[in-house]
Amino acid sequence: MTSFQSQLGEDQGIADELAEGQREISIAEFFEKNKHMLGFDSGARGLVTAVKEAVDNALDACEEAGIRPDIYVEIREVGDYYRLIVEDNGPGITKAQLPKVFGKLLYGSRFHAREQSRGQQGIGISAAVLYSQLTSGKPAKITSRPKGEADAQYFELIIDTDTNEPEIKAERTTSWDRSHGTRIEVEMEANMRARQQLHDYIKHTAVVNPHARLELREPGLDAPLKFERGTDQLPAETEEIRPHPHGVELGTLIKMLEATESYSVSGFLQEEFTRVGRKTADKVVDNFRDRHFGRELGWSADEEPVTAALTDAVSNKGAAATGFFAEEVASTLASRERTSYSELVGIVDNVAEAAEDEYGTRFGATVRENAVAAAWAAMTAFDADEDVDELTDDLYPLVDEATSTRKDDAVVAGMAERLARRFAADDERTRATHKRLQALVDEAADDTEEFDDATFGDTARENVVEALWSRMVTVPDDVPKVREAAERRDTASELLEAMRETDILAPPTDCLAPITSELVEAGLRKEFDADFYAAATRDAEVHGGDPFIVEAGIAYGGELDEGGQVDLLRFANRVPLVYQRGACATTDVVKRIGWRNYGLDQPGGSGMPNGPAVIMIHVASTNVPFTSESKDALANIPAIEDEIELAVREAARELKSYLNKRRSMQKRREKQDVLGRILPEMADKVAEVTGRERPNIDAALARIMNNVGIERERDGDTVRLIVENHSDRNEAPDVTDIVSVEPTDVPEEATVVDLDGEWFVKWNPTVAAGEEAVLEYTVAGDAEFDVNVDGIETEKLTVNA
Amino acid sequence: MSADTPESDTRLNEEKAREQLIELAAEFYDQFDHGDIPEMTLPTRTKSNIVFDEEAGVWVYGDRTSTRSANSVRGARKLLKAVYAVEFLAQQLEENRSSTLRELYYLSESWDSEEAQFSTQDESNQLIEDLEIVSGVTREDFHMRPEESGAKVMGPLKIREQTRRGDREIHCQEDVGQGGYQIPNNPDTIEFLDNDAEFVLCVETGGMRDRLVENGFDVDYDSIVVHLGGQPARATRRLTKRLHDELDLPVVVFCDGDPWSYRIFGSVAYGSIKSAHLSEYLATPEAKYVGIRPQDIVDYDLPTDPLSDSDVNALESELEDPRFQTDFWTEQIELQLDIEKKAEQQALAAQGLDFVTDTYLPERLGEMGVL
Repeated sequence: MTSFQSQLGEDQGIADELAEGQREISIAEFFEKNKHMLGFDSGARGLVTAVKEAVDNALDACEEAGIRPDIYVEIREVGDYYRLIVEDNGPGITKAQLPKVFGKLLYGSRFHAREQSRGQQGIGISAAVLYSQLTSGKPAKITSRPKGEADAQYFELIIDTDTNEPEIKAERTTSWDRSHGTRIEVEMEANMRARQQLHDYIKHTAVVNPHARLELREPGLDAPLKFERGTDQLPAETEEIRPHPHGVELGTLIKMLEATESYSVSGFLQEEFTRVGRKTADKVVDNFRDRHFGRELGWSADEEPVTAALTDAVSNKGAAATGFFAEEVASTLASRERTSYSELVGIVDNVAEAAEDEYGTRFGATVRENAVAAAWAAMTAFDADEDVDELTDDLYPLVDEATSTRKDDAVVAGMAERLARRFAADDERTRATHKRLQALVDEAADDTEEFDDATFGDTARENVVEALWSRMVTVPDDVPKVREAAERRDTASELLEAMRETDILAPPTDCLAPITSELVEAGLRKEFDADFYAAATRDAEVHGGDPFIVEAGIAYGGELDEGGQVDLLRFANRVPLVYQRGACATTDVVKRIGWRNYGLDQPGGSGMPNGPAVIMIHVASTNVPFTSESKDALANIPAIEDEIELAVREAARELKSYLNKRRSMQKRREKQDVLGRILPEMADKVAEVTGRERPNIDAALARIMNNVGIERERDGDTVRLIVENHSDRNEAPDVTDIVSVEPTDVPEEATVVDLDGEWFVKWNPTVAAGEEAVLEYTVAGDAEFDVNVDGIETEKLTVNA
Repeated sequence: MSADTPESDTRLNEEKAREQLIELAAEFYDQFDHGDIPEMTLPTRTKSNIVFDEEAGVWVYGDRTSTRSANSVRGARKLLKAVYAVEFLAQQLEENRSSTLRELYYLSESWDSEEAQFSTQDESNQLIEDLEIVSGVTREDFHMRPEESGAKVMGPLKIREQTRRGDREIHCQEDVGQGGYQIPNNPDTIEFLDNDAEFVLCVETGGMRDRLVENGFDVDYDSIVVHLGGQPARATRRLTKRLHDELDLPVVVFCDGDPWSYRIFGSVAYGSIKSAHLSEYLATPEAKYVGIRPQDIVDYDLPTDPLSDSDVNALESELEDPRFQTDFWTEQIELQLDIEKKAEQQALAAQGLDFVTDTYLPERLGEMGVL
């Protein structure tokens, strides 16, 4: 045994030894070792991530202060390192906050807020500072000038990775030519291999932030890349919202329960959650009751035995009062289909009070309790040995209704009887939670299967449970107080279930600031030289209590790259996502869509479509579900994917009609080109063969092309402009005839404007399909004419005037 | 066309042809001038649009028409080509020259408009047929001829032919070699002088024609043997018709026993679908079919080949063809579909080289009341 002892002693020694090596790890230290989680896995990527974090912060800061962002990004080669400078015109950061914002991980204003913003965790910029100090050993240099202050503050700081606290290396007041704003300068080991991603990031940021002005300088650029504003309109200000009851998890709920100042659950719900008022809170509380206490099943009552039982139970109250009381309660019960225990208590109280008023006899608490017990016993008497059973008859119709007609009557009766026995044995007040009810039904059904040699399947059992549950009534007991719920995990869990169960209005969307379809289009227009643009913004939807909005835009043709796949631009809360395209839900959705339907080439009918197109997708949410902390890809959430698909399809439908129209115009052009070659040759030839002058073929050509033909006839001083509509629908050309001599006798339908010796005769007739319209006026002597027609595609127009 | 003054008659025809062509061009001109879309309307040339002309006893085009219109690129090209062809033909007539269909096809290469050039010879052939229909002038009067006629005549017939080198009198047995008398492209230049013939026998294949001539069938039975050489050229059909109409000779047709050969008979007797506008001029409705009938395959136990899918399709399509809606053809075609066999003329050789001349033809012609 001694050897045991010594072994035990050794064990203790190891534990002590181990304990010496165990210590708290600071968050900064953790990320120092896990840089990749934050997007700093390589020098190339680290630089892009640092730019991204700094620019995101700058944009957020400007927008919050209602300032139109003007952001300057510069990357410089400094020996073996790269220096990154990001300057903004934001509101600046106070002297006290500044070191923490840049020098402490997980410090920020966003994490606890339910509001759409670029940054969410408060990690980004300080991670960039950490990365730079780890690779170059140099502190971050930060200058900030809060709005309205005369001087700027200059700091040099590093993060103490042991404590996750900023360590200030230098600090002084300085002057800065910007009236307000912040400038950060970090040096890091990096390379420019991800130049393309960097440019993409800046360019795409410009697309979704048309209100921002961006400038990028980097060693590979001869001239700085400048992105000017496309609009002066700042994104709508967002409102912070409280969490939605459908969006919280148990741990969060317990924390909220612990922190709240509310006393009752109802108050807590109304105070801490969005979209919960008195009514909704009541609904949740009722659901909570059902879960916490269970519901009560009521029973029918026979008037005589109940009267007898009540008469026995009430003593010393006088025959008249006793009689009144017993009969009144019994008749009330008998008139009801079923009465639960709590309802019985209520009835007894009511009648007792009435009897007190009527007879002046006091029906005290004890009497009432006795009465309830006696009546309840009479209603629910069950003793198989004595052949007393008040329950089975009440259960039989419910079981019968819930099971299929093919069930044997004996089986239904057997089931009802077994259920009755279990209710009698289970709880005095025949009270059960949904779960307990299921258990009771299961047991009874199992027995029925065993002894009655019948099948009682899952569906039948479920139906019976639901039939009973729907008849059972919520109890009036007081729900646990907030304090109790916070202390007991099970209770909190019941509350959470009740919250999820209750239908609650979707969260408000003023916490979101979509770009809006107009500005999506404006952004695309600004950065991509294409022929066609379309954009769509969906209505807000909810996922897990967080509202979200999806927007999509498409640019097509023009200077966009013809060959290869379309460009997919992904954005979350206005931040471009440049890495991990393949892992992103947006990519999956785009690949799933059958693009051939929308006129884009798609080899094999699925996957990324080909063609000169840019597809952009923006998901705005109070909590964008990313696949990882580095925020590169959206997670595959079905609710969000559905909305992405609808948004993209909406924009794609416009693309389709554009492409169809373009194709038909192209065909028309080609036809016109060929006919424009053939018909003159034919005209020449027939003229040659018949020995006549070459005929005018314009009218025939216009007719062939179903065009709108504009012709001029001149007869002496009379000028006639004829519009012939050969198309199959109404056309309304805007005709402007520019005449070198003043025209007279111009009819009312046209207007004449004199412009420096030239007269503009403006006329816009509406000409039905196959009809013609004529404008006749007079011009004296020689005149020159020049007709200009708008409002009809050039492909559809033949002018011969 | 009278045989008395062929010279002046021909000139007159040429002048009329030229006028008709220019008239067509003038129509296009006027359409352009009125701002209308130039177009040319033609009878639809499919088997669903041929009707029997009771009076002439031939099949002609019905009322359905199709329009070649400049409304589409395709139609415009066709009209452009038509106008170029019109110019060429008018010029050719003016200069009293002639050319072949194939020459026209190649000649188009030299036209200044690339759009007007023909891409296949079928296209140019079809265009000439179109022009025949709209102008009401035959191809021969345009001085267009096929590349080779190939068809020859052998029999007791004396004719006079106008040639570029003067008139020639030719006896189609005594003045010709084994090959027989070559039918000219325009058989209307022939004048019949004299004949001892009893009937005209049109033969599909060259091999059978040679067999008949070698066996002296034309001499023994006083028959004019006309070689059809597959689908007969217009000149052959025109000559056959003239032999029937002018010399009052019965015409019989001797072909292979397959659906394609029935069509050869059909074009001799009823007119072809492609040239139904000329049926009155080319078809010999009184012509009779000798064989090979499917009935003969059974009766003479001839060596056969099985019907291919395309044969079956062709037979079924003939059952629908208005030209073949007679008891004789319905019965024969249904029999053939039933036995699923076809036989060539040469199959008769299975019973000896003389069988066809000694037995088969005399028997069949006897049955038909020709002999």
